[in-house]
This record gives sequence, structure tokens and C-alpha cells, in this order.
Amino acid sequence: MKKRYVKLLRTLAALLISSVFFIPILMMLLGSFKNQNEVLHLDLSLPAHFEIQNYQHVLSTGSILRGYFNSFIITVGAVILILLFGAITGIIISRRKNRATKCLYYYYLFGLTATMQMVTTYTLMIDLNLSGSYLGVILVFAAINLPFSVMTFSSFVTSVPREIDEAALIDGAGPLTLIFRILLPIMRPVIVTNLIIAAIGVWNNFQVPLYLMSSAKRMTIPMTVFNFYGLYARSWNYVFAALTITILPVVLLYLCLQKYIVEGMTAGAVKG
Amino acid sequence: MKSKNQRTAYPLWLAGPGLLVYSLFFIVPIFTAFGYSFTNWNLDHMHIASWVGISNFVSLLKDEIFLRSIANTLIFALFTTFFKTLIGLLLALLVVKKFPGNSIFRTLFYLPCVLSTMIVGLLFTAILKQDGLLNNLLNSLGLSSLTRDWLGSYGSAMAWIIIVEIWMWAGFSMFIFISGLQAISKDYYESAQLEGATSWQQFRHITMPLLAPSFTVVTTLNITGGLKVFDLVYALTGGGPGFDTQVLSTYVYRAFSMGQLGRSSAAAILLSILVVAITFLLNRFLKSREVET
Repeated sequence: MKKRYVKLLRTLAALLISSVFFIPILMMLLGSFKNQNEVLHLDLSLPAHFEIQNYQHVLSTGSILRGYFNSFIITVGAVILILLFGAITGIIISRRKNRATKCLYYYYLFGLTATMQMVTTYTLMIDLNLSGSYLGVILVFAAINLPFSVMTFSSFVTSVPREIDEAALIDGAGPLTLIFRILLPIMRPVIVTNLIIAAIGVWNNFQVPLYLMSSAKRMTIPMTVFNFYGLYARSWNYVFAALTITILPVVLLYLCLQKYIVEGMTAGAVKG
Repeated sequence: MKSKNQRTAYPLWLAGPGLLVYSLFFIVPIFTAFGYSFTNWNLDHMHIASWVGISNFVSLLKDEIFLRSIANTLIFALFTTFFKTLIGLLLALLVVKKFPGNSIFRTLFYLPCVLSTMIVGLLFTAILKQDGLLNNLLNSLGLSSLTRDWLGSYGSAMAWIIIVEIWMWAGFSMFIFISGLQAISKDYYESAQLEGATSWQQFRHITMPLLAPSFTVVTTLNITGGLKVFDLVYALTGGGPGFDTQVLSTYVYRAFSMGQLGRSSAAAILLSILVVAITFLLNRFLKSREVET
């Protein structure tokens, strides 16, 4: 009897807290269907008439889709490099235990506490002729995410029995076969963790593209939305529609992959 | 035999490309920033910077806006860390037990963590501006006297940036605590109950000490995140009103966008020193607590 009462209390408390999370989202969704006059008064009322053309307008101005495209290219490029470099370096560090790899390990460890220096990264881009290019931003994202990725890969590989490697070597496998055919499939859990953390981090990052991508053509999604707000600050119906378009895919992906995302992000935090 | 095997099976050169990218795009800028922080490096004459010794640092420490940014950064980091940890723990204790819908609530509380800070910033701009949702709700409740321009007034702007940061990241702390709580063996609680311990005693003497490692992780992550805060301030206030919510990262960006590259680097170097020093001290303190308990 008392137990049921406690359970009910928990549910009520959780529902109450939920409203704090729901209200901003609800305001955005409702507002994205209102017309310009209705949305002047921001509240949680239902729109008198669902204005789908807010979305059409946002999509037709084009910048949002371009932002998606840019974010996609940068995220995919950076994630591939982070996984590839991280896995290979992690394998070499944990399998070749000598002074050189130990130094390498601490060299990467330093990056976990170091703070990225934006100004000199910006001028480096200019010096290397990479300023404003996809490649430049991808390489920077790869570099700042590598410490975490190297740490997690090398600690995972340490727990993989060496006998697996030795059996493959006896069968005549070369280093590349060993890494890509034998070890990578075993490392799936740590690959998923790194994939999720890197992808979410790069996709949402605002600071790096703000410094390094000045051209409107190459802007990523967070910047595109921010600029869109700058242009349409008085038309919240459009801003809300733009926000919904940018949030929706992320939320859907989160709901589908929730287990992996949450586990990945927290496991990563604990190990990192 | 074994070392020869290692050399051929795991050739060191394979780590080369990663090492090059990491060194060139992360480590080199740190060292050049350190060097340039002692120069009058400027966007107008980028390649003819001259040595000015520590004058950037001296002028920073004499700059009232910079000192204010340090104070704001510390206030932000302190308050957000405290409340993200506290609220994260309370949420974890709430949803760790089984009750109808508990996994749905977990999902919801974590949701803001996967959103872009910029997007969260815009959502809350709509809530907090002069004619925003919050003031409209207050008006309709007959509390018009409480309404104000939340992001445009002294004091309340910083308070709201802190609240939004907590809104966004409390769920992250919650999940670290949940995994910590689930790792505690049920046996402890069972034997405590047999000896007649109250739930508060169980919490105080079993849960809290065994959760110490989770506390270390949560506070360390939150404090470094808090010290480096940029996006949220940029999105919500841009450092204003005046310089009320200017933090170190936005100060660095401001100096950068004014073309003062040397000064900006010096400020960024001071920020990194602050981050390293505080994380180091905090970690030592928290680790020592873990061993004791």
C-alpha cells in the first residue's frame, strides 16, 4: 500500500519536472504553425489555423538545407578521421608497449586538459591556405577530438586478448589486415561510443565554425539558424519553423538510438 | 622475437597521419598562441608582430572588463556545477527506481543534451525577451509586477544563463549518477534494513560514499565545461547588457573580432591556465575524498 503511494508520488513529481522540459518545445512547435500576428504574442495557445507555409518559406529561402549539407559533410569527414586515426593509434599504443608509445600516450593525454586556441588556429588556416574550406574545419575537428578517441580505443584494445592477434599473424596477416579485418570488428562497442560522441559534438559545435568559416556558403546548421534569427528576429513563426526543422531529425535519431547515445556519452564521460 | 614481431605487426608509421593532424591542428596553435601572447600581433600587420613582453598580460589584468569576465566565468562555473550536480543527483534518485514511465522521463530529461546550444539559446530567447513567453505567462497570472526584460537587466541576465545551462545539462549528470547508483550492490541496503536503518541513514552512509567516484566525474566535467562556456552566452546575451555577462571565452572572441590577436591569445592562455589549475586542484581534492570513504 505504502509502496504504491510512493510510486504515485514519484510519477507526479516526474510529470511536474517534465513540464519544464516540455514548455520550450511546445512553444516552438505551436509557434511554428501560427501566422505572423498570432506569434507576436508568445504563448502556449493553439494556432487558429495551421500555417504550413511557414515551413515552405523557411525551406525555400534555402539556407537551412545548405546548412544541413555543410554540417553533414563536416561531421562525416571529421568522424571518419577521428575513428580511423583513433583506432589505429589506440591499437599501436596498447599493443607495442615501449618508451615511444608511452610518450605518444602522454602526448595525447595532454590534449584532454588543454584548451583549444582559436586565434592561432584561425591564422594557421590562412597560412596553410585552408581558410574557410571544409577540409580545414574537418582536420581541426579531428585534431581536437583525437585525445579522447585515442584514450578510449587504447584502453579497449588492452582488454582484447593478444592471442587473437597472434593467431592472425601466424596465418600470415599483415598489419592492415590485422587492424581492419580482425581487430576493428571486435572493437564495435568502442567504435559506437566514439562515433556518437564525435558526431553529436561536431554537429552541434558552434565555436569552431564561427571562427573558421566566415563565408555564408559554408555555414553549418547552428550558425545558419543563428543567422536566420538575425534576419527574421521579428517573425518568430519562421524562426520556430527553422528551429523545428533543425531539431526534429536530431530528436528522432536520439529516440531511435537512445540506448547507444546515452550509454556512449556517459561511458565516454566516465572513461574520459 | 616478440619485439621484432611487434615491429612488423604494429608498425609505428601507421600512427603517423593521426599524429601529424593532432600536432599541427591542436598542439602547434597552443604553442604559437603562447608565443604570440607576448607580442602586439594585430590583424592589420599579421606577419610583423613585435615582442612586447608581458604587457598584454599587464594590460589585461588592468582591464576592468577582463577582470569582470574572470569573475563572471567563475560565478558561472561555480553555480552551474553546484546545481547541475545537485539536480542531476535528485533526478537520478527520482527515476532510478521502477515506476510507470520512468524510462520515458529519463529520455526526456536527457533530451536537451543532444541539442545544439545555439538552438537552446534561441528557444530561451523567445521565452525570456521583454515580450516573451515568461512575461506573457506572468501577465496572464496577474503578476505583471514581476515582469522584466530578463536578458536585458543587470543580474537577471547572468542568473538566466546559469539556469538555461542547468536546464540543458542536468540530465547528463543524472545519467552518470544513474549508472553509479546501479553499480551499488543491493546487499548493502538489505543488511542495513535488517539492522533497522532509516532511508536517510541508508542514503547518508551507503549511497553517498559509494557514489563518490560519480561525484568526481560529474563535478570535474561540469567545472571544465563551465569555465569554457561560450555558445550559450553568445546566443543569449552576446556578453551584454553592457559587459554584465561577458565571460573569458566571449572576451577572447571579442578581442579576436577587433583584430587584437596578441591580446586575444593572452586572454585565451590565461583561460587555459585557469582551467588546468582548477581541474587539477579539484581532482586532487575529490580523489582524496574517494580514498577516505
